[in-house]
Amino acid sequence: MSDLARQQSDFQRAILTGEDAILAEIPDSPREKREKLFGVYRYAYSSRLVEAMRNDHKLLYIYLGDEMFDAMGHAYVAASPSQHPNLRWFSGSLPEFLKSSEPYSNYPVLSDLAALERALNDAFDAQEAPVLGLADMAGFAPEAWGGLRFRPHPSARRLDLSTNAAAVWLALTGDEEPPDPVRLDEPGRLLVWRKDVKPVFRELGTEEAMMWDEGASGIPFGVLCSMLATYDDPDGAAARGAGYLHGWVTAELLTGVSRD
Amino acid sequence: MNVASQMPVAPAPRAEHREESAKPPFLGFGLGLRAQHYDEILKGNPPIDWFEIISENYMIPGGQPLRILDRIRERYPVVMHGVSLSIASTAPPDFEYLNGLRELARRVEPKWISDHLCWTGVHGKNLHDLLPIPYTREALDHVVNRVQLVQDFLGRALVLENVSTYVRFVNSEMTEWEFLTELSRRSGCWLLFDVNNVYVSAFNHGYDPLTFLEGIPADRVVQFHMAGHSHMGTHIVDTHDHPVCDDVWELYAAALKRFGWVSTIIERDDNIPPLDEILVEVERIREIAHKVLPPRQAG
Repeated sequence: MSDLARQQSDFQRAILTGEDAILAEIPDSPREKREKLFGVYRYAYSSRLVEAMRNDHKLLYIYLGDEMFDAMGHAYVAASPSQHPNLRWFSGSLPEFLKSSEPYSNYPVLSDLAALERALNDAFDAQEAPVLGLADMAGFAPEAWGGLRFRPHPSARRLDLSTNAAAVWLALTGDEEPPDPVRLDEPGRLLVWRKDVKPVFRELGTEEAMMWDEGASGIPFGVLCSMLATYDDPDGAAARGAGYLHGWVTAELLTGVSRD
Repeated sequence: MNVASQMPVAPAPRAEHREESAKPPFLGFGLGLRAQHYDEILKGNPPIDWFEIISENYMIPGGQPLRILDRIRERYPVVMHGVSLSIASTAPPDFEYLNGLRELARRVEPKWISDHLCWTGVHGKNLHDLLPIPYTREALDHVVNRVQLVQDFLGRALVLENVSTYVRFVNSEMTEWEFLTELSRRSGCWLLFDVNNVYVSAFNHGYDPLTFLEGIPADRVVQFHMAGHSHMGTHIVDTHDHPVCDDVWELYAAALKRFGWVSTIIERDDNIPPLDEILVEVERIREIAHKVLPPRQAG
């Protein structure tokens, strides 16, 4: 290992772990001790990352408040050092951290709220793609519909939440008192996407969520309707499928359609 | 035929003093582009000569920031300024990052691409800070090599900025300005002279900022940064969250006298004021240049 490589290794370790060997290679300045000067780097490291987390998770920050958010942020920084050159992706695994680390794992609404904010952030700067319009659908003859397959817009993502985090999110966004967190009997099924430039979400019923998930994986419309028939009134399945599809197209959730 | 036997056992050494790249043009007096000002810029066409973007803010798949950037670059010259190149790191270069940078440059067609003389992490970790290096011959050889590699990869000369530092190393064998001078001479990179950073480092390490200024070859500097800082009494922290202070304005005037007409921006990273407030500073960098320098020759 070169001297430079060894020195960088020691410098980084001193920031991350507090081990002070590198200080032997750093002189005091004319006005200040080396410990204090090196402390500027130590402080900047975690405070910069926590600041980035505040920006990415503005509502979780409001929900927890300064002190609790910062304690949580520093714990995340210690558990998940950044491995990506772009700070944009640093808090990507925060929902998993909150789900698996005490004391946060005792409050599942935190992980859900972080997951919802992450999904909205990801939708915000997701890849561009054309938006499917109703006119694009009009050209298909009725007998061709059974074989149509739909491609979701790249910004679209599904989220299943175990708590009422969506209601908490809505209250915090509206500057209102959030409801008490509760665990839901049935998961809250959300669809998150970007409409023009704005990230949005809405809740789906069980049936529509199933159709979206299966349609997104490439199942054609005719089969999707047969699947819908097992959920509710079989005679109305095709009409319900067409209704969901119409809603997705007008909401700018689809980017393309192809035929078998 | 055994192909492997035909291959060189080591990479061919790169010629050090590479063919001189064209010097980046003088762009005038600009501003670091920040999201807080998007609306006012697009609606108002403010009198700003050019914008410097933080490259990483636009190294994303799509969405509003890139759409806005496309609109701004239709009206203003744009320069890409990165914070994650980590040119002095002893870790292998991050080619995924470099590919992203090259892809963004294809879209933006920047007047130049800059980053900092620093490292940001090793062993797969990123500390997201502009970390200092020892000014040794070993470090110089290493950085010259990396700069040449990145320049070959990007197909253009880099512009590198001096960073604010809070510590120095006992094994340094030269000054920061000697290091920058040699780096620029040997690698062909151009220099971004951050006037505030020179002031901060000079205070923190106890030297005269004019000595730094005099030590940099005048013909290698293609850009100035002007920014504010936080004074802690015994040391200064480069926070970029305050207006430019009087001492840094004075140093800017001295830098103009030494380097001449140099593209300059106001760089504010935190505590970002409304656009009209920051435009006062942009106007001031323009006024001082016109006051200090003889009229600029056309072309």
